[in-house]
Amino acid sequence: MSDIDYKDRGSLLNPLKSWAFFGRPPVTEPLEPRAASANYRGFHVNDWEKCVGCSTCQKVCDNAAITMVRIPGLPVDPVKGVRDERPAIDYGRCCWCGLCVDICPTGSLALSREYVHTCTEEQISSYFVLPDSSGMHGKPFGLGWSKTADADLVDLGRQEMRELEPEQRIGNFAEIVAGYDDQQALLEASRCVQCGMCHDACPTHMHAPEYIRAIWQGQIEEAVRLIYETNPFAHVCGRVCTRRCEDACSIGKRGEPIAIRWLKRYAMDAVPHERIKQIAAAGKATTASGRRVAIVGAGPAGLTAAFDLAKKGHAVTVFEALAQPGGMTRWGIPEYRLPYDRIDRDIDVIRSVGVDIRCNVKIGQDITLEELRNTHDAVLIALGLQQGRQTRIPHSEHEKVFRAVDLLNKITAGEPFELPHCAVVIGGGNVAMDIARSLARMQKQQYGQVDVVVTALEDQQHFMADPDEIKEALEEGIVIRDNCGPQGCEISASGKLIGLKTWKVLSIFDEHNRFAPRYDQAGETIHACDTVIEAIGQFADTSLLGDALTESLEWNRGRLKIDAAGRTSESWLWAAGDMVSGPDVVTAVADGHRVAASIHEAMSVMEKTK
Amino acid sequence: MRPENYQSVSQPPSNEFELFYGPNHPGIEGNYALKVRVHGDEVTSARADGGYLHRGFEKLMEGRLWIQNIALVPRICVPDPVPMEVCYSLAVEELGGIEVPLRAQWIRVMQLELSRIAAHLFFFGGHAATTGMYTPMFWGITDRDLILDLFEELSGGRVYHIYNIPGGVRRDLPPGYLERVSKTLDYLESRLPDYDNLLFTNKVFVHRATGIGAMTQEQALEWGVTGPNLRATGLAFDVRRDDPYLVYDQLDFDIPVEAAGDAWARSLVRRSELKESLRILRQVVAKLPHIGGAIRAPIPNPLAWNLPAGDVYTRVESSKGELAYYVVSNGGDKPYRVHVRGPSAMHAVQVLEHLATGARIEDVAQIMFSLDACPPEVDR
Amino acid sequence: MTQSVEGTAHGIERLRGKTTLREILEVATSFEASARDFYAGLIPKVSKRIRYLVEELAAEEQVHYDLFGALAQRGDISEQIQAEIERPANDSQFSDCLHLPNLGEQPDDQAVLQYAMGREHAAMRHYEELAQTTPPGPIRDLFQYLASEETKHKLELEKIYYATVHRGGGV
Repeated sequence: MSDIDYKDRGSLLNPLKSWAFFGRPPVTEPLEPRAASANYRGFHVNDWEKCVGCSTCQKVCDNAAITMVRIPGLPVDPVKGVRDERPAIDYGRCCWCGLCVDICPTGSLALSREYVHTCTEEQISSYFVLPDSSGMHGKPFGLGWSKTADADLVDLGRQEMRELEPEQRIGNFAEIVAGYDDQQALLEASRCVQCGMCHDACPTHMHAPEYIRAIWQGQIEEAVRLIYETNPFAHVCGRVCTRRCEDACSIGKRGEPIAIRWLKRYAMDAVPHERIKQIAAAGKATTASGRRVAIVGAGPAGLTAAFDLAKKGHAVTVFEALAQPGGMTRWGIPEYRLPYDRIDRDIDVIRSVGVDIRCNVKIGQDITLEELRNTHDAVLIALGLQQGRQTRIPHSEHEKVFRAVDLLNKITAGEPFELPHCAVVIGGGNVAMDIARSLARMQKQQYGQVDVVVTALEDQQHFMADPDEIKEALEEGIVIRDNCGPQGCEISASGKLIGLKTWKVLSIFDEHNRFAPRYDQAGETIHACDTVIEAIGQFADTSLLGDALTESLEWNRGRLKIDAAGRTSESWLWAAGDMVSGPDVVTAVADGHRVAASIHEAMSVMEKTK
Repeated sequence: MRPENYQSVSQPPSNEFELFYGPNHPGIEGNYALKVRVHGDEVTSARADGGYLHRGFEKLMEGRLWIQNIALVPRICVPDPVPMEVCYSLAVEELGGIEVPLRAQWIRVMQLELSRIAAHLFFFGGHAATTGMYTPMFWGITDRDLILDLFEELSGGRVYHIYNIPGGVRRDLPPGYLERVSKTLDYLESRLPDYDNLLFTNKVFVHRATGIGAMTQEQALEWGVTGPNLRATGLAFDVRRDDPYLVYDQLDFDIPVEAAGDAWARSLVRRSELKESLRILRQVVAKLPHIGGAIRAPIPNPLAWNLPAGDVYTRVESSKGELAYYVVSNGGDKPYRVHVRGPSAMHAVQVLEHLATGARIEDVAQIMFSLDACPPEVDR
Repeated sequence: MTQSVEGTAHGIERLRGKTTLREILEVATSFEASARDFYAGLIPKVSKRIRYLVEELAAEEQVHYDLFGALAQRGDISEQIQAEIERPANDSQFSDCLHLPNLGEQPDDQAVLQYAMGREHAAMRHYEELAQTTPPGPIRDLFQYLASEETKHKLELEKIYYATVHRGGGV
């Protein structure tokens, strides 16, 4: 087989031919380090501007060579998902596999083309290195192994959510989003790198990494249990949460953040309601404390507090002025975003732990706050922001000028009102989108066509509304005219409302992002319409406090002054939710937990007087 | 006291010695040790000891994520790490039902054959050195370094490439890479006559190697011998041809065999194999530019990647013989159990012990090296 | 509101008669004092909830009062104001369409802000008008300076108005 036969015994002369090598010049290698290849896996470099301290590198490191080190003075911003930690490498452990580079969500890590490091015994700690962008020895060797699309181990693309097409949804209030199926949820959950930025960013610090992990492991009931540890508005937040978690998500730095909200929704929808009630009730006190707590307002803040307090064994009564509990989640958010039966489920769970909710009771009229004070150990007010702000531009007192919240209320209640043929909405927030899209649906149903214009001071990039809302509104045929400063309602000679006059806003914020509008009066426009709807903002109606209490309470720039735990300056009264923290469901939930803890603590040291 | 402790001990006769061959001996690789009992110059028995440098890989793998193990496996065989990466990746891919893109398969073949050449060059030097010739050792290591240069350019690492990943490979070829591979192949081909002159047609080496450490084909099969050591006993078995993986079934190459089963035959088989690898690489260099597409199939987030429960056995032909991974998944994100069937475990333990017994003490190192065993592969 | 408020015909006449910088500043200072006193008088009338707003307005007028008063005491009034009118504030017109409300007994925060912006607007217009009808020189510069000061104040109020009314509850 071989060209040398096994039996060939070789030659004594052949090896001597190698003497020819003596005639060749020797090969001399220089002492300087040779240039490493372009892909070389040398020492780490880390761009601190890009690095957010998510510690994913640490998790993939198979030698435990990476330690996250706190660097005082670096920016910390839970809302943006930025921590003041940076990876330090123990080169006694590192094996230079480069998996840290491939999995780095931000792309801040790379390996350099530098590979020589040596030291004396005294400097042995120099093998423990906190890499930054200047390289191991501050010398420019250039990047070697760095992030490429081929080697990227981060799954940047989100599982697509099935949604009703615009033409399918415009004529009805059916829920638009279909929700994930089992396989989609598992795949979406598998994208998570468990950095916990979401947990830090969430106002109520939901255990998102843990419940995402549980979903990935197929343990959906465990996911629900983890969700209920921090959020009894689980169905609601699974659908309409403002999801700060997703803004902070490390994967979102280069790709689409994990669909944390949809995963929560998946878990809640996947577990039978009766089972959820059992899970939520776990840990409920077995004996009554004998304490009574009155809560005014059955929105997310009030009911979250009620849920916590009832589980601790206190007798909780919630008073709601409207016909059904849920607060803004029911009376403000349209059904195509949040079906009422999902709110009912959340509330049923809350009721099932023993919360007594009494609707159609107006505190200040049917019962006074003073009476509540006298018959309960603690009182919490969580009134929400139920009143719509008015523009007070000329003729805005016309009978065909409405507040968005009032109309949304009527739509939820099923109360009839004269549906505008042609409506102009003032405002660029989610409420503006909610009313515009609700009216569009009703117009489609009743008149067969949509005629709604949304005008706002801001340019579309600065709208407070969720970008998805804007996109979907446009798909549904709603016209958005941004940069329109309302100047007055136009009234015909016969006194009919015929339009809204606006001026063109050239810019609304100055270079410091402060309000400093500039108008172009030549850009005056009359938006023809038969109805104007103001959706510019809301405020709390605190008249139920009465003059005396209003006077004795401390205030903070128009809002009730509360301490860090949510207690007002009156020791028996707490306040929570939108009225003190601004409008946001999940912040209201966080508030609810906080005041519940404070009330519980206060009552535990209180003498029983009632 | 127990009876065995106060029974009298019978001492060996004074012309018998127990010698430690290794763990630090120039004729033994790595930390390997062979405890030999000699009667004069003749070895009467031998016990192998895998040492403590590299061990426990299989257990370590159970504690690491599927993807983390790619950094661990090449260490199981330092001189020939690529088959470890590829074989482990093949196992994970089979468990996960992952289809590896064609381009990645060709790139893997390229690496495997480059690695085989590097390992055989190492072998030439090592075998020669155990017969007292050190120049082939210097040459072998120097020429091997040219292949390490190619690996550094491809993967960023010279020895531990960590370049394969379940799903494919981690980088595409750098621009102009195949031309440089081609040049290196030219150079290595030009060096073959030098090796022949110095080693394979060197009367001293031929005489020194002939008849040393001989085994029959029957013995070889009984002892689990594979690879060049098996082919040196006349059996043309090669996983690349007999159970093809990757794209080996599309490549044209021969399986060199020798009949004698001794150290000289083993050396001749490896010499021919190196030429066959050069032949394969020429084909890969010609073909690869025409194979486009991805270099890696998409895999899930490595931190949350469960493989379906099941077990697989994948095997490749390494420079040492048949290398196989038996991987069991219980549906989790880490292997439940990994068994590495390293060819060296057989070659360096039972085969070496058998062949060393009855050999002369000065041949033990040559027998060991002619089997081309890799110590970390023994005690995985 | 019986005080000689900025922007009223009575106020303009009082200023038109003045011929020295110090005299003009003294009248302007008295306007600020009357505004301060007006807001101070409003403090007990409004709900405690929005009292901060009226208190801040009174304090702001006090700042102007102090500023003009201090300026009047200096010998180099014209040099001082020269630097200021090099960079006059631009009116944004944001709130110009709002009604000047009748504050009544229990005004809300929006009404108070509307009212305050209306006052500043009137004052701004009024100083501008005086500047236009005055020949170039230190006195015209002073009117321009006063107009600019009122404009700045109005802009600050508009920021508060926007934050309170337009961004206060945009769910």
